[in-house]
Amino acid sequence: MNTVFMEAAISLNNDYVREWKQAGKKVVGYTCSYVPDELLYAAGILPYRIRGFGATEATIGDTYFGPFICSLPKAMLQLAGEGKFDFLDGAIITPGCDSMRRLDECWRKAGGDITGVLPKFFFHFGVPHKFADYTVKWFIDEILRLKVAVEGHFGVSINEDKLRETIQLFNKSRDLLEQFDRLRIADKPAITGTEALAVILAGTTMPRDVYVELLEGLIGNMQKSKGEMQGKVRLMLVGSASDDVNLIRLIEGERAIVVADNLCFGSRFHVDRVDEMDEPIQALAMRYLAKNECPRMYGEYAGRLKMLTDKAEKAKIDGVILQNIRFCDLHGSENGLFERDLEEAGIPCLKIEREYGPLVETGRLKMRVDAFLERIGQRRKTA
Amino acid sequence: MRPELKEYKFDSMLWTTFAAAAKLRNGSEKEFRTMLKYIPYFNGTVTAVLDAGEPGQLFLECITKYFENYITARDRGFHNAITTFCFSPGILYAMDVYPICLEVVSVAQTFAYKRGTAEFLDYCNEVGYTETSCSSQRGTLGAFLAGLGAEVDMVLTDTPGVCDTNANAFAFAAAYLKKPFFSLDMPPVLVDPRTDKYHNSDFKALIAFIEKNTGRKLDIDKLRVVLREIEKQEEIVAELEDLARIVPNPLPVTFNMMLYATRFLFSGMKECTVVLESMLKVASDNASRGISGLTGGVEKMRAFFCYIDHYTNGLRLWDFLDRNGICYQGNILSRSWAKTAPHVKEYRTEASAYSFDMKDLDSMIRTMADHNSRMPMIKSIRGPYDAPDMWLQDTLSLAKMYSADCIIYNGTPGCRNTWGMVKLLARDTEQAGFPTFIMYGDAFDDRVESWEASQDRLEEFLRVRRLLP
Repeated sequence: MNTVFMEAAISLNNDYVREWKQAGKKVVGYTCSYVPDELLYAAGILPYRIRGFGATEATIGDTYFGPFICSLPKAMLQLAGEGKFDFLDGAIITPGCDSMRRLDECWRKAGGDITGVLPKFFFHFGVPHKFADYTVKWFIDEILRLKVAVEGHFGVSINEDKLRETIQLFNKSRDLLEQFDRLRIADKPAITGTEALAVILAGTTMPRDVYVELLEGLIGNMQKSKGEMQGKVRLMLVGSASDDVNLIRLIEGERAIVVADNLCFGSRFHVDRVDEMDEPIQALAMRYLAKNECPRMYGEYAGRLKMLTDKAEKAKIDGVILQNIRFCDLHGSENGLFERDLEEAGIPCLKIEREYGPLVETGRLKMRVDAFLERIGQRRKTA
Repeated sequence: MRPELKEYKFDSMLWTTFAAAAKLRNGSEKEFRTMLKYIPYFNGTVTAVLDAGEPGQLFLECITKYFENYITARDRGFHNAITTFCFSPGILYAMDVYPICLEVVSVAQTFAYKRGTAEFLDYCNEVGYTETSCSSQRGTLGAFLAGLGAEVDMVLTDTPGVCDTNANAFAFAAAYLKKPFFSLDMPPVLVDPRTDKYHNSDFKALIAFIEKNTGRKLDIDKLRVVLREIEKQEEIVAELEDLARIVPNPLPVTFNMMLYATRFLFSGMKECTVVLESMLKVASDNASRGISGLTGGVEKMRAFFCYIDHYTNGLRLWDFLDRNGICYQGNILSRSWAKTAPHVKEYRTEASAYSFDMKDLDSMIRTMADHNSRMPMIKSIRGPYDAPDMWLQDTLSLAKMYSADCIIYNGTPGCRNTWGMVKLLARDTEQAGFPTFIMYGDAFDDRVESWEASQDRLEEFLRVRRLLP
């Protein structure tokens, strides 16, 4: 695999971001996959998915957040407080979940205490929790509110032609990633789950046209490859936000391969195209709000279960790892339901709770994953 | 879970427990005192509530009726729905759907039982629901997941956009029990024409959902009757809130809890009005005589609770306040946001309040949608805490208006939302001159921090900040 993907995935201020900034262009961060980042790109702004990767302590995060809060937004705030996101010209916070939406206040207050850590453009972007005609209407207005704010703050214009062009570009990357997903689930995959996550993560931190070119090259190489990874336990990773390639590396070890996922830093990033024939803002609203893969869309469990079951079948999954960051009740509870229903359907599951951040629990996690792989091994023998 | 817990339906047990409690005063004083010995974990609550006089008696009868209603609803040809405290039950009563408010039933359990809801809390975890979720729903949800409650028809909530852990509890319940689910969604900004339209459309969708799942059409006349009753109740609540401003406060400490619990159970129904009227009679009488509602008769200080109370076990929080001469100046749950509410008039916040318009069906739906979207928590914890009409503004204005000497936060570790901003809130309220205390216990689960430990810390705060003479 081209190392640029991995480099982009494991550094915050990567080469592409630096080049973009050196060209005098703006970068705006966002915290959730429900933000239509096409809007920013059409304005000549690099959309950048804010991550907590690389935080090694939580002193700043704990100063503002209370104790019973997911460690991901705390890690994000920690990095912001340490100046690691100083390259951001703006940030968009969404109510992806309660912990994440409170990043709004905590970051603003930290900005009052620590000079320079709050981007000048700071926007609270609402996202409804269900899909209906009136919620889509509201969401369209919210996207328009964001558009006006971006145009006003950055002195840019987001015209319809540019937006259509951007939608086409982003759709192209989605098509390529879908193709990439199909190659990942081959009997002899040419790429590990660790590398695959790096490929997807890179797309959230680099210019999309460059990303498309890199993806085309990668997919070409994967198609030519005969694939070497055979006989490994095929896993699907599901649950809370996971943007740390080292977590997948830990899970895969020598015996397993993650061939599919339902993660917001993973396949949720690229599922579903934006309708290119529709009016652009309407089309963006439809694509982003109709996404039901995240448990923040309440009452859609049955659809998500079906999606996972189908995915497991297509990818010939041996087992599913259902993980949640501690205090992530949305994924944690839904994982409980998935475990019940997937096991009932004959798909082995491992449900684990973990902390976000540096892998302080490596031993415990590794032991549980190994035991799970043993279980799957036994199952294969008796099949 | 202990096997004996599975012997009977948990809610039928609670029904008979409260029914018996409501009859305790029917005998002589000696008989009453004798009976208390046989309910060692419930007698604290029973005594405190019944000592409040007629309102306490009516309150216990009200709870009894609530259990009877939802447990027998299906036998009587009606429906029931699992729902939440901040979902106004008015629309449900208007459509012959009897609510099962998880949080209030959890409180009933913590008041009545030695172990409170502990075993049902843990049962939830056994079936995959996270232990970090809010204990207010979990304590009762566990009983329903275990099949120990009444048969349920549907699950309703209105907290998406306000409280994930709450909304998630109901979504989980619906998926686990395979019941129809509907949620009202809340945009982050309260006073906004977009939000009004959204609430209105959402509420219409709720009515359509209930009609579909009950096979009954909304009866406009019935809705009008319910709304008139809610309007009447709001006027009584406004009078009670006005009385609470007097020094000394003529309301007994238990009144605040009784006020909000009654509204959560029976808003829009006569049962609620009767309790409120009785409370008003006692409070007005105390006020006319210039006496405090505190048992000791001396008001030493006033506390405002900026979130919820501490419900374990046997009304010990209220007992602590009463014993120490601390006047309870309300919490987030007890406030009404009708335009007639004293704080709404005082601070001219009518735009964020609601009024009653019963002209036609559309105006009534709009009224219900406005009322529902201004229920406790729904109103003030949807957007950033320091945004207009949100938590900080409400807390500071209420603490000031009710002359609080301090602000106390108590919640549950499951409350991701307030724990995400309470440190910031406390910093601001301290800067505004209110000594502020954050309690780290769990309002519904003594195992997180015993009440004794919570009380020690609270006493330390009051001592160190020299709040109690």
